[in-house]
Amino acid sequence: MSGTRITEAARAGFDACLAAADEDAAIELAVGLVASGVSAEDVLLRLVAPAQLKVGELWASGEWTVAQEHAATHVSSRTVDEVASAARGTARPPAGSGAQGRVLVACSDGEWHVLPARILTEVLRLRGFDVRSLGGSVPPDGILSDVHRNGPDVVALSCTLPWNLPLAYRQIEICRWAGVPVIAGGSGFGPAGTWAYALGADLYAADARDAAEALLHRWPPVLRGESSVGADAVEAYAMLVRQRPGLLEYLASVLRDVCPGLGGSSGPEQEEGTGFLGRLLDSLAAAVFVDDERVFTRHLAFVRTYLAARSADSRCLLAMTDALAGRLNGSPRALDTLSAGRRFLTGQEDGSGSRG
Amino acid sequence: MADDGGGAGAWSHTAAQLGELLDLVDEAVVTCDRADGTVLGFNRAAARIFPRLRPGRPAGRAAAPLAHAQARGAKRFSAAHGGRRLRGRRGTVDGLAVWLLSQAGRVQGAGAALVDERDRSAFLEEAAQRLGASLHHGRTARTLVELVTPKLADVSVVVLPASGRRTDWHRAGPGDARSSGEVAVEALEEVPEVANALYGLQPRPAVVGAREPDTLAHLVPAEFVRGGEPLVAQLAAGGVPAGVLIMWRGPERDRFDDADVELAQRFAVRAGLALATAALYSQQAHTLAVLQAGMAPAPLPPADGLRLGAAYRPAAEALHISGDFYHVAPSAGGGVTFFFGDVSGKGAEAAVLAGHLRQSMRTLAMVAKDSEPLRDLRLLNDIVLSDGHRFTTLVTGSACPRGDGSVRVEIAGGGHLSPLALRGDGSVEEIPCEGTLVGAVPDPGFGRTEFLLEPGELILFYSDGVTEARGGASGREMYGEERLVDALASCTDMQAASVAERLELLTTEWLAGRPHDDISLLTLQAPPRRGSPPHPRPESRAGPRAGKDEGP
Repeated sequence: MSGTRITEAARAGFDACLAAADEDAAIELAVGLVASGVSAEDVLLRLVAPAQLKVGELWASGEWTVAQEHAATHVSSRTVDEVASAARGTARPPAGSGAQGRVLVACSDGEWHVLPARILTEVLRLRGFDVRSLGGSVPPDGILSDVHRNGPDVVALSCTLPWNLPLAYRQIEICRWAGVPVIAGGSGFGPAGTWAYALGADLYAADARDAAEALLHRWPPVLRGESSVGADAVEAYAMLVRQRPGLLEYLASVLRDVCPGLGGSSGPEQEEGTGFLGRLLDSLAAAVFVDDERVFTRHLAFVRTYLAARSADSRCLLAMTDALAGRLNGSPRALDTLSAGRRFLTGQEDGSGSRG
Repeated sequence: MADDGGGAGAWSHTAAQLGELLDLVDEAVVTCDRADGTVLGFNRAAARIFPRLRPGRPAGRAAAPLAHAQARGAKRFSAAHGGRRLRGRRGTVDGLAVWLLSQAGRVQGAGAALVDERDRSAFLEEAAQRLGASLHHGRTARTLVELVTPKLADVSVVVLPASGRRTDWHRAGPGDARSSGEVAVEALEEVPEVANALYGLQPRPAVVGAREPDTLAHLVPAEFVRGGEPLVAQLAAGGVPAGVLIMWRGPERDRFDDADVELAQRFAVRAGLALATAALYSQQAHTLAVLQAGMAPAPLPPADGLRLGAAYRPAAEALHISGDFYHVAPSAGGGVTFFFGDVSGKGAEAAVLAGHLRQSMRTLAMVAKDSEPLRDLRLLNDIVLSDGHRFTTLVTGSACPRGDGSVRVEIAGGGHLSPLALRGDGSVEEIPCEGTLVGAVPDPGFGRTEFLLEPGELILFYSDGVTEARGGASGREMYGEERLVDALASCTDMQAASVAERLELLTTEWLAGRPHDDISLLTLQAPPRRGSPPHPRPESRAGPRAGKDEGP
């Protein structure tokens, strides 16, 4: 009677496969579960997804290298493929495949975590939807072109990185302008999808199962979202985008002075520094864009943990926010966000931060 | 009146008194014979509206809106009369048709007319905007029926132009209900107005009389069939038929009047244009999709003793048709043969040559008994030369796993960027493969080289879209080979597929949304030895890594 549940042993086994980057064993284990009667959806959502979450944590905490994380992600991704094809092969074909309607799944522009979108794609297919998937980092015109060509009933947009929110906004806008509602999903849209609704998404789902349920219960989805992104916020954001190259250079010089260990003056170290500083700026800009300082403070919280795990001095973050505040006198919105960041870094506020 | 519902009134007057009482009522009252429409009586208010009304004569011209409604058998009407809006509803008492009429005051009427006109303009503007935003034929059709429901009708159906014996329809209403299906063209043609509209011969929307045998019944829920009298509007663009819009109103609602017909006409002009544009786009998009699918690289085959990976990101401006091409095929003797190249220029012109090349390469692979890359390259050179003024870079080769877990790779090339090998010690080595471009000169020279990949080692082929990607802090700097080498070096212990994916990620991040040339990557790897899984390496750098994001 162990057939329909995923045991702790199975979980541990799968984690071990990811750690060893053992693709064959991982697939054998996962497909074996499907063969023994566990639903493919459960295997995807209760085995693969949580294991992959752990992979992310192991990387963030510095226990795993980027290479290990990539290798494990590759194994997870292959597992999703095989579980899906096993489910299609053995289980009854979903009643009237594609009869539920057409869904286009895409990752937000700049988003490279494709696994959540892959899992969503397969879960929706298992529920009988006709799904097209555009993969990672889809530019808005790529979505629009597909919308015009294939006429989906709804676009499902996945975003795990909040600094991409302004880019996600353009994708949401372009879909809704073309008359297609958007269901947003992923941790990048903030607690309970609050930023998804701010950007005008019509629906939000925390995970693939929720998304399937929401679509099944509210089919066909309708345009009902309304963006709360104001013209002021867009202007303040645009200013930060225009100044980005200059700010980046300035931050790099400050970083060299304050924390010489972080990022050399040339070569890959410098680029790594640039990447880190770029994300800091992008998070600030995104916070200004959606008018919520939590986008920024949450990013600071992540970077602080990340740096601490690599025994780097996270106090440089404070130096960075202060340096930015010195340069952004003209933008009250940016300054407000930066001072929220400062309060957070100096321990006056926690990362999940209450607003205002 | 009996059919007005509510409590019954109580009367104890003479007939003459009743007439005088009716004269005191503001509403106009006209009674007619139900059978022939002869006017039997009317009150003072009715005489003010229709001064030429006479008892014993038909309503006719003296009370045209009323007569029209009577002729249609309508229970209600709303029409312009004497510059004002006149609304009528019909009750029945025994054999009498009793019309109750009310007229908006002149000022009130003008105000109402203005409000009506503003309302119509807003409706048409919204329609134009929403219809203009969609280029998908089906979605445009769905949007169209959603727009007119409930504004103009309670249920509306758009029938698309017939291409065979059956044709598609989409329906909106009643309420939020939406559906679609197919209908036999023959059935539609039984209704003359619909037939005309289907073939572009119905310039004005027309109300279909209830007398028709109802062949439209399967397009609409039963209660609307009984309601009858749909309004049929032709959708066309420049005389070319684009579909037919059929609208029904429920029994609770006023019949379509002249103002409705006019609004339907103005709407139909916009809708016809949008539908025709979308139809044209859909045909072209379909053609393009078929061609694109034919030009996109085939999925990598499974290969024993080898790991493969690829990434393909065509330039956006040419609708994702690329001059980059690659192909990997399993080889009869084990391992794979492959080729990788980049046609000069980009977009459709480059893609056509890339398609020829792929076809030629595959044909060569079929007819040749042994792999002879230099001979193949010379043949291709002739083909490309005869094809026109374009040329291509090309690497062709084979990879064959050996018994000891290593892989022997042989490549021959012309004009392509030298592939990079990621060695077991984490170093990156360029594998030189000199040669002239394919299709540039009649007497080319091609290079050929052979090397081994030890277990875990990997070779990367890439197109110049990678190294020439412009971005970075300034937005103008090229990604360059040095960065690519560093990026590849950071991929030690990754599988071939992850390496291709990661290099694509780093390049795309470098671009930060800027336009780029076609980007293609192909990786081949000797699988690492069993029992030596990727080992945690000591973290060499303290800083955050470029291209690495927050956890998944």
